[in-house]
Amino acid sequence: MKKFLSTLVSTAVMVGAASTSTMVSAADEINVVMFGMPYTKGLAALADDFEKETGIKANIDVIGQDVFENRITLSFTGKSGDIDVVHTPVIQVQRWVAADWLKPITAEVDGLAVKADIMAGPLDAYKINGEQWAVPYMAATGLMTYRKDILEEAGVEVPQTWEEMLAVAAKIHNDETAAIAMRAVPGQGFNMFIFPMVMRAYGGKFFEDYTAGDLTPAINSPETLEALNVYMKLLNEYGPQGAGNFNFAEVQAAAQNGQIAFAVEGTGIAASLVDPEKSKFADKTGITLPPGGPAGRSPAIAVHGLGIPASAKNPELSMKFIEWAVSSETMTKIALAQPFSNFTTQPVADNADVIAKYSKVHPDFLTVQAEALNLAIGHYRPLLPEWPALGQAIGENINAALNGLMSPEEALEAAEQEMNDILGN
Amino acid sequence: MTSKSQSQSTGKPKTPASATADLERGYRMMMLPAVLAVGIFAIVPLAGMLALSVSDYHLIRGTNWDFGFKNFVKLVSDKRLMNSVYAMSILSFLGVALQVLIGAAIAVGLSKIVGKWRLGRIFFLLPYAVPHVAVALIWLSLFTPILSPINAFFDLFGVTVPSFLTTQYGALFAIVLADTWTNFPFAMLIILAALQGISPDLDEAAALDGATRVQTFFYVTLPLLVPAFLMVTLFRFIDSLKHFPMIFVMTKGGPGRSTQATNYYAYIQTFQNSNVAYGAAIAVTLFIVAAFISFYVARLNQQVNS
Repeated sequence: MKKFLSTLVSTAVMVGAASTSTMVSAADEINVVMFGMPYTKGLAALADDFEKETGIKANIDVIGQDVFENRITLSFTGKSGDIDVVHTPVIQVQRWVAADWLKPITAEVDGLAVKADIMAGPLDAYKINGEQWAVPYMAATGLMTYRKDILEEAGVEVPQTWEEMLAVAAKIHNDETAAIAMRAVPGQGFNMFIFPMVMRAYGGKFFEDYTAGDLTPAINSPETLEALNVYMKLLNEYGPQGAGNFNFAEVQAAAQNGQIAFAVEGTGIAASLVDPEKSKFADKTGITLPPGGPAGRSPAIAVHGLGIPASAKNPELSMKFIEWAVSSETMTKIALAQPFSNFTTQPVADNADVIAKYSKVHPDFLTVQAEALNLAIGHYRPLLPEWPALGQAIGENINAALNGLMSPEEALEAAEQEMNDILGN
Repeated sequence: MTSKSQSQSTGKPKTPASATADLERGYRMMMLPAVLAVGIFAIVPLAGMLALSVSDYHLIRGTNWDFGFKNFVKLVSDKRLMNSVYAMSILSFLGVALQVLIGAAIAVGLSKIVGKWRLGRIFFLLPYAVPHVAVALIWLSLFTPILSPINAFFDLFGVTVPSFLTTQYGALFAIVLADTWTNFPFAMLIILAALQGISPDLDEAAALDGATRVQTFFYVTLPLLVPAFLMVTLFRFIDSLKHFPMIFVMTKGGPGRSTQATNYYAYIQTFQNSNVAYGAAIAVTLFIVAAFISFYVARLNQQVNS
């Protein structure tokens, strides 16, 4: 009976997986599945180049992030082998490795000619249990944009700490232009991409001692409470109306329409706000590091890479694709064609055309980005298989506090309790 | 053709009974591809989901393939599930009621329109043709104060429209409205078809008996529409149990967990929390609820018809 039931489960999952994909890999054909970002869109546009260079046809499927999750879960659990290269966010890699979804590629990566060109930090982020599981192509970080004209008019300096931000916000906030907007909707990639920048600045942490391996949840602390109060005060008192349901798109729209003075966002959005082609306020907008606090400054970091599914039928071809996709030549083409500045292949940063392009966007852009990446800690969001579940639960409680459904104290208590439940403590 | 060639080859004329049997066999063969397709793509995954729901399949914790009903026992005491059922009930009951009422009102209005203006029906069908994600994006903009033309309009008069998506009931209401906008045409279409199936003789007979138009509507037309109402309510209600795109795009389940309907909660358990077995148990429970409602309404429909 037990065997029958488990066979039934596998059959059902395989049928589900098969029905999600009509693509079948031929010998000289590979299927690449990624979600929409400047790099992935740029890569899809270069698929013909890959075929010309290698004779291998790459079907590059760039889909929405929500569809991506469902698509790969069905494919990997059903072991359908219909994906040869998969977009691998570092925040998911621990979970995927725990679920045996990825193929270890340590030897293959060691043999890559391009390996020396790849930034060591992002590459190491994909090392788990001594094995390499993916190759990075980008590392996004957290940055802050500010309206120079508004600060000048109010006679205030760019805030260096969240405490200073509160004081500046109180001075500049008005009905026309709110002081600040940040992501608020619940989710590990939404408010939990931004809130830890405030939390870590005040010395708040997710666990007692993550680096020493003590994973006792410790989010319910006076430091995180202080940070949550600051985050709430900024958005509720000095944010635009409805800020409690903002995601990155709303933050971007508010800044592009001149409805906010400060935006703390990821590299992609921040870059668009200082790009004269994308925002009419770009010439009045400055870019800098996100504020810090008593415990220093901790810009967000999100690394993305390419991995090979454990079920991939022809890993050699997959590896050839990855080598091409992260090569300086391909990366440079994408950096020039797309708003893609956060590449992790080092020589691209030395390319004169790339430097010229991003200096035109904003003279400080590349230097501020490099500074933020240097300050960012790899485990900004804990690198654990359980993180998606933890981030979701914490994010929901933070959002509930922000929108007045519970007190900040109750939210942190609930978040810690739920962390314990998820980790089985 | 088949029976003719067969009778020629055997040389014996076919009896009517065996010809009918041949035909039936032919029809059955024609149904085979559809039966196979449903079997493979509906029944097998459904059976698989049932098996998953009684398993311990977890993507991270590891799976021992221990089967039992512990997921269903856990469901009973899961506060988050109760919260999701509450959100789903509001979204489903309020949404379906509004869709059927608005759909019926417009259907009655449209049924009176004759001539070339009948083409105006297409106008009311348009929202139904818009993909749900696009509908959600439209309504997200309308309910985001800094982007909304509604807020901008009222701002001209110094009136501040409150932010709906940051309060529990405001967010639920916003999703109900978006769902109603895109789904009322379905109700309208079914009820309009039913209205057109009612013979005008009945109206005339009622008028001859001295009934007013209002009386005719309530005592003649409306009772004849009951089967259509039942059917449209059933279809919409079952569909409303599957709330997802509006929530995902408009609120991500927030504020807090206020708009996490049960289907969305199953998604979180499966895809965020990696607890596939528990997610399947929630989905199976939803399926049982939908099946129970279908069965009950089908029986009710039979009673009404008889």
